[in-house]
Amino acid sequence: MTATGVEAAVQAAFKEEWGSVVATLIRRTGNWDLAEECAQEAFTQALTSWARDGVPSRPGAWLTTVAGNRALDRLRRSARGAELLEQVARDPLRSPSAEPDEDEDEPEVIEDDRLRLMFTCCHPALALEARVALTLRTLAGLTTAEIARAFLVAEPTMAKRLVRAKAKIAAAAIPYRVPPPELLPERTTGVLAVLYLLFNEGYSASSGDELIRAGLCDEAIRLTRLLGRLLPEEPEADALLALMLLQHSRRDARVDAGGDLITLEHQDRGLWHGDEIAEAEALLTDGDPLITIGTYRAQAEIALCHTREPTDWPRIAALYAALEQALPSPVVRLNRAVAVAMAGDLDAGIALVGELVQRDELSGYHLLYATRADLLRRRGDVIDARVEYERALALAPSETERRFLRGRIAEL
Amino acid sequence: MNYLLLICTDGVSTPEIAAAMQEHTPKWVEEMDGRGVRLLGNGLLGPDTARTVRVRGGETLITDGPFVDSKEFIGGLDIIQAESLDEAIEVAAKHPVSWYFTIEVRPFRREVEVPENWTYEQLRFLMLPCLDGIPEADEVEAQLLRDLQAWAEMVDARGVRVVGAPLAPASTATTVRVRDGQTVLSDGPFVETKEYVAGIDILSCETMDEAIELATAHPLSRFHMVEVRPFWGG
Repeated sequence: MTATGVEAAVQAAFKEEWGSVVATLIRRTGNWDLAEECAQEAFTQALTSWARDGVPSRPGAWLTTVAGNRALDRLRRSARGAELLEQVARDPLRSPSAEPDEDEDEPEVIEDDRLRLMFTCCHPALALEARVALTLRTLAGLTTAEIARAFLVAEPTMAKRLVRAKAKIAAAAIPYRVPPPELLPERTTGVLAVLYLLFNEGYSASSGDELIRAGLCDEAIRLTRLLGRLLPEEPEADALLALMLLQHSRRDARVDAGGDLITLEHQDRGLWHGDEIAEAEALLTDGDPLITIGTYRAQAEIALCHTREPTDWPRIAALYAALEQALPSPVVRLNRAVAVAMAGDLDAGIALVGELVQRDELSGYHLLYATRADLLRRRGDVIDARVEYERALALAPSETERRFLRGRIAEL
Repeated sequence: MNYLLLICTDGVSTPEIAAAMQEHTPKWVEEMDGRGVRLLGNGLLGPDTARTVRVRGGETLITDGPFVDSKEFIGGLDIIQAESLDEAIEVAAKHPVSWYFTIEVRPFRREVEVPENWTYEQLRFLMLPCLDGIPEADEVEAQLLRDLQAWAEMVDARGVRVVGAPLAPASTATTVRVRDGQTVLSDGPFVETKEYVAGIDILSCETMDEAIELATAHPLSRFHMVEVRPFWGG
C-alpha cells in the first residue's frame, strides 16, 4: 500500500473511530487523559503497522485493541495503576504484547460508550464553554490548539479549561453513563443544545479561523447524526439533524463575492445542496409537527418550507405559532408576525409587531423596527414606514445593514 | 462519595418561604436519613455571629462577619453519601432551600469519618479554613501539611472535634437551584472569590473563646484565614 494510501486510511479512521476508541478506554480505565494519549498512540502506530500489514478489515476494533493494550502497559508500569488495573481486569483486554490479529475475536466495542461520552461531556454541572471544548476534544478529536483557534482564545486558556473540566469530572464523580430514564429527556435536551451551539459557531463563521470554524458544522452534523442513531426514540435528535442539514445546504449560496450575506429570497437556488435537503426531508416524515411539536422540529419544518416554491406562508405562520407555544420568545413572535403578514393578513402582522414595540421587548433590536417599516410600506403607510426605517438605521450594527436600510428609505 | 451541601440563603424570607421551610425541611431530613444519604448536618446562626481569624506576624486578628461578605451566606450544612454527582444533585434539589435560594454541592477529598452516635448537642461550632488555591513553595506546602496533621492530633486529643475533612477545590463545586420546577445547575461555588473554603471542622467545644483559640492555632490562619460560626442550639 502506498504511503499516501495508508495516511488517507488512518485519517478516515480517525474521523470515524477516534470518539469510540477514547470512549471505550475511558469506560475501562476511568482516566480521560490516559484514554486520549493511548488513542493518539494507537493512531500513530497504525501508520507503520498498516503500511506493513495492510489496513485491517475493522480499523476501529484494531485501534481499540492497540490503544487498550497501551493503556494496560502504562498502568502496569505506574505505581498508582495497580488499583485501576483491577478494574480493567474485570473487563479483560487481550495480551498486551501482541498486535491484534484479524482472525481473533473482536474486542468488545460497546456502541453505548460514545453515548456515555456525549452525555458526560455535556453534563450540566460543567460550564457551557467547557462542555463544548470537551465534546470537540474527546469526541471529535480536535486538538487543543484547533479548539482554541476556533473560539479565539489563547491555547493555554483552552488547555486550562479542558484540564479543569476533566478534574471536576473525576473529583466530583460525574457519572460516566447514559442517564437513567427520569433524567434522559432533560439531559438529551442539553446535549442537543451543545451540538446546535457547535453548529452555529461554525455557521456564523464571522471570526476565528474560517476553515476550522466551517469544520465545526461538519462535526456538529456528524455527532448529531450519531446521536440520532444511538437514541432512535428521540425525535428531536433527528429534527436537529434536519435543521442543521437544511441550513448547511445553503452554505455556498449565502455569501456574495464581497463577503456580504445574501438573504434567502435572493440566493441562487442552484447552489443549494439538494442531497442534503432531501436527507432532511426524509427525517421529517413522522407525525404531524403541528400536533406534537418539538422546538427543533418546528424550526426544521420552517426551514424546509423555505426550500420550496411557492413559499407556503400560512403553514410557516402556523409553525411559528406552535414554536412560540413551546418556546415563548419575542424573536419567535417577530418572525410569526412576518409570516402572518406574508400569508395575507397584513393588519394582523402589523398588530403583532406593534404589541412587541408596546411591551418594550426587543427595544434596541434594529430588526424590530426594520420589520415594522417593511410591513407598513407594504400597506402603503409611507410616512410611518420612513419613521421606523430611521429608527432601525440608528440602531443597525453594521455598515452592510445601514446601506441596505438607506436603500429602502430612498425607494419610499 | 461524600459531598458537602452548603445551604446558602440571603436571609430575606417571606411568610410563604418560611412556611415551605418549616414544612419541608424536616421531611427532607427524614427522607435522607432514611435513605442513608444524610450523614450529619444542622443549621448555623446568622452571619453576624461569625468571627474570622487571621494570624499575621504572630498577632491574632479577629474580625466580625464571615470570610466573604456577599449577599448570600452559608446558613447550614449537610454531609451526604451519594453514588455520584447526579445523586447529590437530586438530593440537593429536594431540599426546600434550593427552591428559593442556592445549595452548593462540593465533593470531599476523601471519605469522611462521621461518628455513628453523633448528637445535635455536640455540634457547637463550625470552622471553615480558607485557601486561595495558589500553591506555595514545596517545602512550605510540606511544612503546612505537617502542621495540619499536628493541629488535628491536638484537637482530637482534646476530644473536641466531631468531624474534620478536607474538601476538593472550589472549581469542582456545583450550585443547585430549582426554578419553575427545573433543576438549574451552574459550575463553581456559590460565590466566586479569591479565597474559598478548603475544608470543614465541626467542634464540640463549650465556648466561642475556645473555638477561636483553636482557629488561631490552625495553620491556615497564618496563611489565609479561618471562619468560626456557632450552630443552632449549640
